[in-house]
Order: sequence, then structure tokens, then C-alpha cells
Amino acid sequence: MTNNESLENVVLELRRGVIVLAALSQLGTEQYGYSLLKKLSDLGLEVDQGTLYPLLRRLEAQGVLESVWKLEESRPRRYYVLSAEGKKLLPKLKKEWAGIVSVMDKMLA
Amino acid sequence: MKLIDRYVAEVGRNLPLVRGRKDIEKELRSTLEDMLEDRARKSGQPVDETLEIDLLKEYGAPQTIAQTYNPQPYLIGPRMFPFFVFVLKIVITVVTIVLLVLTGIEIATLSPMAGPDFVKAVWDGLTGVVGAAIAAFGNIVLVFAILERFVPASEFQMDEEKEWDPASLKKEPEPDEVKIWEPILAIVFTFIAISIFNFNPQWLVIPIIADDKAAFIPALTEAFFRWLPWINIGWVAEIVMNGMLIRTGRWTISTRLVSIGIKVFQVVILYFLFTGPSILAVTPESLQASGVFDADAAQTLGDLAQNGVRILIGLGIFGTVIEIIKTLYKLVTQRSSISV
Repeated sequence: MTNNESLENVVLELRRGVIVLAALSQLGTEQYGYSLLKKLSDLGLEVDQGTLYPLLRRLEAQGVLESVWKLEESRPRRYYVLSAEGKKLLPKLKKEWAGIVSVMDKMLA
Repeated sequence: MKLIDRYVAEVGRNLPLVRGRKDIEKELRSTLEDMLEDRARKSGQPVDETLEIDLLKEYGAPQTIAQTYNPQPYLIGPRMFPFFVFVLKIVITVVTIVLLVLTGIEIATLSPMAGPDFVKAVWDGLTGVVGAAIAAFGNIVLVFAILERFVPASEFQMDEEKEWDPASLKKEPEPDEVKIWEPILAIVFTFIAISIFNFNPQWLVIPIIADDKAAFIPALTEAFFRWLPWINIGWVAEIVMNGMLIRTGRWTISTRLVSIGIKVFQVVILYFLFTGPSILAVTPESLQASGVFDADAAQTLGDLAQNGVRILIGLGIFGTVIEIIKTLYKLVTQRSSISV
């Protein structure tokens, strides 16, 4: 395994770890999959479609998200939004994240 | 049918058996159409097949996309795997032992034990053991793959996942330590063997009782007693070595070397007992002469006994060679740990 491959693998692992929080943070308002993908991309986080859609389904199955089909521009779209449980969970996750960032900042300083 | 529709249908065909397949297909189609429209707008091109092909190429192979929806990419998941290995070890061990014993019995009942029949019986037995072990493995995998999908993983908590006490950890065995009762028992039994075989060989008889008739026939032949002085040398050497073990309380390089030497010597003697004239006096003739059996029964039982004793000697050689290898391994690891 080359250095570049190792770097790519570690970066991939790091990104995977934050995708859940990134997606939840943007789902306070309704988003369909592609609009969420673009929003994350605009904010600087490129997420693979093959990762995001199964993740959204899993989070919905866990009760963190809710979804509803809507017909827009003659096209059905599935909109996702935080459920009541997801709304309770998000601040806790943000706090955890702040803690991790603070610890890692100290370590990497 | 548009390319996107064909793509979505292909993903659908490859989706794992999850709920909401239609839902996944519908969402995928909607996403692809959004992406296509977006690309057309950005590039100022109309939506055509070329654009579709570019998009789908970038999106990925249908099989790959379908697999991302697989919630259970394992045949047997990591949570159930330790329990699977635990069951597998037990079943394979039991199946192998039972079939080996059955094969041994079948070979022992061959009359006479020679020629192509013997080779065929050994071959059939061994292939049967391998076949049964593979079949058992396949069946266990099948059962666990089904359990993985229908039984909650929490039902299969291994002991270490439950609350545990570090004090319950097993003591790591000390490889060189000698349990004092082992050499003592070995000395006692060796003395008993020496006294019986050398001073009371008249005790070595086999009682035969059938249909109200009884007879005692000597167990061992002259061929055995010709080898007895050599066997005695091995036994005395073992007594001396066990005495050294009691004194030191540990296996040392010298006791291991002595042990290997004794075992090699015993293998040589066993080899001569195996290849030489039979050491068992129980023969078709002696059984018939006892008056307990008729000619046919005497022939069958005599052959069984003669074959059986050679198999036992063969197993003895095999077991002793394994012991030699084990002792050699311990000797090598002991030497390397000393040099470290």
C-alpha cells in the first residue's frame, strides 16, 4: 500500500465518521436526497451518493429521520427531515462533536 | 425504455432482499433525473443519451449501487461468528472422532487384514471422514446464515460480552512447569508394568466366556517376551527421567532431550513389534483350541484380535511420534526464549 493510498483510506474513514452528523445538521428543514447532496457539497463536504442514500434509509429505520414522498415538477421526490427523536439527538451529537474537536485540537496543536 | 429506467431496473434486480425495494428504485430514478437535469442546465446541452451514459458511468455499476443498500453484507456477522466457531470446533471434532473409530472398527473386522481390501477400507474411511467434515461444515454455515437473519444477535452473546470479572481469567499455563503428580503416577504405573510383565507373566491371560464355557488363554506370544528386555530398558529410563522431573520440578533442556531419546527408542521397539511376528497369542487356532468357540467364530474373533493389536501398536507409534514432535517444539521454543 502506497503512502497515497494510506492517506486516502484514512481520509475516507474520517469523512465516514462525520457524514451522519453532517447530514443530520442539514435536515432541520426538509430535503430530498439530491438537494441534501448538493447542499453538503456546497458547504465543502463531498459525499458519495452510494453512501448517502443508504445512510438516510438507515437513519429513518432508526427513527432519527422521517420521510415523505412529494410530487414536484411532475417528479416524485422523497423528502427527509429530523424526527422528534432526531431533534433531541442532534444537540447531544453537536456537544460530542465539540468535545472531540477540542480534544483533537489540543492533541494536534 | 430510457437508459435510466433500464439502469434502475438492473439495480432493482441486484438489490438484496430488503423491504422497500420499489421505494429504493423510485428514489434512485428521481435522483438520477434530478442529476441529469442539473448537468444539462450547467452544460447548456439538451438531455440526451450521451449525457445519460456519462451520468450513469459516473454513478457506478448497478451491482455496486445495489450492494450499498445491503444492510447485512455478511453471511455470518461478526457478533455471531465466535459462537459459530465454537459450535464448529465441537461438531467437527465429534464427527471426525466418531468416523475414525468406525473406520478403525471396520478395518479391524477385515479378514484377513491385507491386500487391496485393506487399502480400500482405509481410503474409504479417510475420504468418508473428510466428506463428513465438509458436509458438517456446510450444514453449520447454513444454519448460522439462517439464524443470522432471523434471530436477534443479542440472543447469541458470548460469555465475554456479559459482565465479567478479571479475577476469573484462566491462569496462563507455565510450559516448563511439571505437575508433581504426573511423574509420580508415571513411576508407579511403570513399576507395576515391569513387575507384571517380568515377574508375573502368568497374570497376562485373557478370559474367554461364552455359552457357559470358560477358558483362559495366554495373552502374549514368545515374540513379545523376546523384546521385553529392550522394553524394560525404555521403562527404566522413563523412571529415571521422571525421578529427575520430581527433583527439578521443571522441564529442562536435558530432561526434554532425554524424553525425546526414550520416545525414539520406544518407537523403534514398537516398529519391530508391528512388523515382526504377532505379539498376541489370541489366534483363531488358540480360540478354537480353548473349546469355547466353533471354527467360524474362532476364525472371526482371532482375526479381529490379531488385526486389532497391530492397529493398537500402529496407533502407539503414531501417538509417540506426535509426542516427540511436541517435545521437540517445546525444546525449540524453550531454547529461543532462553536466547532472548
